[in-house]
Amino acid sequence: MRDYFIPKEEFRVVFVVGKGGVGKTTSSASIASYLSTKGYKTLIVSLDPAHNLGDVFMIKLNDKPKEISKNLYALELDMEKLIRNYLKNLEESMKYMYRYLTVINLENYFEVLSYSPGIEEYATLEAVREILQKGDEWDIIVFDTPPTGLTLRVLALPKIAKIWTEKLIDIRKKILEKRFMIEKIHGERKFVIENKEYKLPSKEDEDAVLKELENYKKEIEFVLKTLTDEKKTTVVGVMNPEMLALYETERARDALQKFNIPLKLIVVNKVITIDLDLPQLKVKLDTQKQVLGEISEKFKGLDIIHIGMHEREPRGFDILKEFGVNIVERGD
Amino acid sequence: MWKHKIKYFLKGFFGSFKESSTEFIEFEERELENIFAVLLMGSYIGIPSPPTTILIRIMPHMVREIYVMQRRAIDMDDILGEMAGLMDIE
Repeated sequence: MRDYFIPKEEFRVVFVVGKGGVGKTTSSASIASYLSTKGYKTLIVSLDPAHNLGDVFMIKLNDKPKEISKNLYALELDMEKLIRNYLKNLEESMKYMYRYLTVINLENYFEVLSYSPGIEEYATLEAVREILQKGDEWDIIVFDTPPTGLTLRVLALPKIAKIWTEKLIDIRKKILEKRFMIEKIHGERKFVIENKEYKLPSKEDEDAVLKELENYKKEIEFVLKTLTDEKKTTVVGVMNPEMLALYETERARDALQKFNIPLKLIVVNKVITIDLDLPQLKVKLDTQKQVLGEISEKFKGLDIIHIGMHEREPRGFDILKEFGVNIVERGD
Repeated sequence: MWKHKIKYFLKGFFGSFKESSTEFIEFEERELENIFAVLLMGSYIGIPSPPTTILIRIMPHMVREIYVMQRRAIDMDDILGEMAGLMDIE
């Protein structure tokens, strides 16, 4: 078995990334199915808002892990539900706390928030974090991701979020410092609004904002650490033998490198291996030949495997686990 | 009786010193609170916002800062006045 699929510390996380329609879901389902037959308790999670993991397994899935076969569980994230829940708690606490605000129309604000740019990525990241934090329930967690663009943005988030959090913590600490200085002279200060009194927090351990920020920082650091740890995370790139897919995979590799997320394996899916001299296929076969040549040069140091066209449609656990052998155990 | 008056006078006297001693720090504090809130609500005025997750987590505890931001926006046209007040320029 390829070394980077074996869980070494607590659990192994496998991200399967690639351009739309190259066979990410089938590949990730195959990997998960095969690993589960090796006795690893495996969870496969679809992060793609346009789910088709259920279609591949031919089972209806929801946002709770569902047992597909022995040791294999699958779930599809429900993005809308996530965002709804994500905003619901906030809306309630805010409506209560901010009754006095008339300048900012809060109702509108929440409506806008649910469409705010990036909220899907953040909801996805939160979901990934929650799954990773409960990672020791599993031996292997396979993520079937949305097409490259969105995935890269999600994977970039922890780093960006960390920078923001650190800056906000800095400012917050300065505010608390000032408050502490004033408190030293005037005594404890109260902030009265709408006949309600709040004590102005001045110490770092009593300030709810700072506490939230520090907690968030810890969580985000955990995700970052897991994602960049070769002993825990493996990224598998899936592509077709086509020029566009090659370019996109290259860009993905560069982006992953920038975030120190370990890309280990390239699966070239849907390789045509027929000897017929069909003029309609000639262009395709020529491109394929060129791409396959370039791949081995451009992705030196990575494992590359070719998967041919399947004789049967790769759906259902029994077929998938057979395909998984090719990816997890051996290549060409 | 007069003792009481002197005590009252001195209290007021030192009280005003005490008050004015923190004027600048309080001004600085308000500014920082304002900036903190503006940073979080930046999307309203077209500056990049921090990750929505951070916003969602800390907004419920930001009553004071949002209030300060709102006051600041209202008093925006008299910022020079406020500065002059701080510097004792009449």
